[in-house]
Amino acid sequence: MPELLRPGSIDEAAGLIARHGAAAAVIAGGTSLVRETYPSDGGYLIGVDRLGLDKVVSRDGGWSIGAAVSLSVLREAVPIAALQAATREIGGPAVQNMATVGGNLFARAPFGDLAPALLALGARLVFATADGEATQSIDDFYAGWSDGAPPGAGLLTRIEIDAPAGSAAYMKCARRRYSTPSVVTVAACVATDGGTVSAARIALSGASAHPFRCNGAEQAVIGSRLDEAAVTAAAEAAEGAVAPQTDAVASEWYRRRMTGVFVRRVLAALA
Amino acid sequence: MNDKLIRLTVNGRDEAVVIQPLATLQDVLRDDLELTAVKSGCGQGGCGSCSVLVDGELRLSCLTLAERAEGAEITTLEGLNATNAIVPLQQAFVENYAAQCGYCTAGMVMAAKALLDRNPSPSRDEIVEGLSGNLCRCTGFAPIVRAVQQAADALSDSGEEAS
Repeated sequence: MPELLRPGSIDEAAGLIARHGAAAAVIAGGTSLVRETYPSDGGYLIGVDRLGLDKVVSRDGGWSIGAAVSLSVLREAVPIAALQAATREIGGPAVQNMATVGGNLFARAPFGDLAPALLALGARLVFATADGEATQSIDDFYAGWSDGAPPGAGLLTRIEIDAPAGSAAYMKCARRRYSTPSVVTVAACVATDGGTVSAARIALSGASAHPFRCNGAEQAVIGSRLDEAAVTAAAEAAEGAVAPQTDAVASEWYRRRMTGVFVRRVLAALA
Repeated sequence: MNDKLIRLTVNGRDEAVVIQPLATLQDVLRDDLELTAVKSGCGQGGCGSCSVLVDGELRLSCLTLAERAEGAEITTLEGLNATNAIVPLQQAFVENYAAQCGYCTAGMVMAAKALLDRNPSPSRDEIVEGLSGNLCRCTGFAPIVRAVQQAADALSDSGEEAS
């Protein structure tokens, strides 16, 4: 049975993570970890409920979101529609009251539907390590995942986002309206200059081992007027970039098809 | 690893319970405190039958470590009324035939209470979203949604709380 440790400070928590390494798992809302923990498991669960990481601070037009902020609190505190849509489509109200922003970033596919919204918004992740604080872009965080395991960067303490640099949209393809895993989830943030796309961030989850930014789809729309040809090219690039799994929710084939459909729908919503 | 003594506040009563390591709140409520309106459904956070209120907020007791609920006010269905009388929300479930086997009902009522406490006059869509974490596999959702709608209408007429 793993031992539950509940450190009272961020330094103490970062020290425990450094000391126990792979034998320790950080537990926040518990909506994934409690059901994945078995009496036969060893090691440690490190709780983050006593670290004061449950606040959202608004500053300089952006937000600093504590890693242990619940999805419900995030929805109330940060008025970005694409992010609010993401929080509504993860679990039901009880899960949204428990699950945390930080925890969701570590969820395994096909869970983890907050990440594409935060990737589209260009979030920065701040970690406490035994050597002090380290900031990493969310792009680099997911680029660093290997073999499905998150990088061991320390304790995620907060997520920082700026006001969207353009228009943002979020859509989740799922079997039911609510409380269901993702077939594929797509979020995008597109900036235009005189009708021409000057910058784009297009992110996906559910259809690959971990969430990621789809550079091919972004390049397909940058410089375009989000016309049919550009949107089609972006959808095809995304279909080629995902590595879907077949599971009880959807087949590999269906996930790939819906990737194209939902990239198209998200970009159409922004056109 | 050793058992541990924790103190919980459940339905307004202070309780001291000896728990095993990583015991869930569901285990403690059902097995130690015999509050069996808390149903054990999927144990995975997928069905909502174990729903309780923690400091007034809807939570899943199956995914809550009991130790981490210390210091919070926990409310189960048994705590909706101090005299165990049926409350208007439950009466609406009765009148709308919103329970067949009844296994999901306690969780549904708790989810509905959490919704109505926050939003006393919800739209039908808001009721559906408020109950979206709770699965029913025999009654059907339509009578359950109607029951919550009736309770909301009655509450807005009377100006009372859901329970």
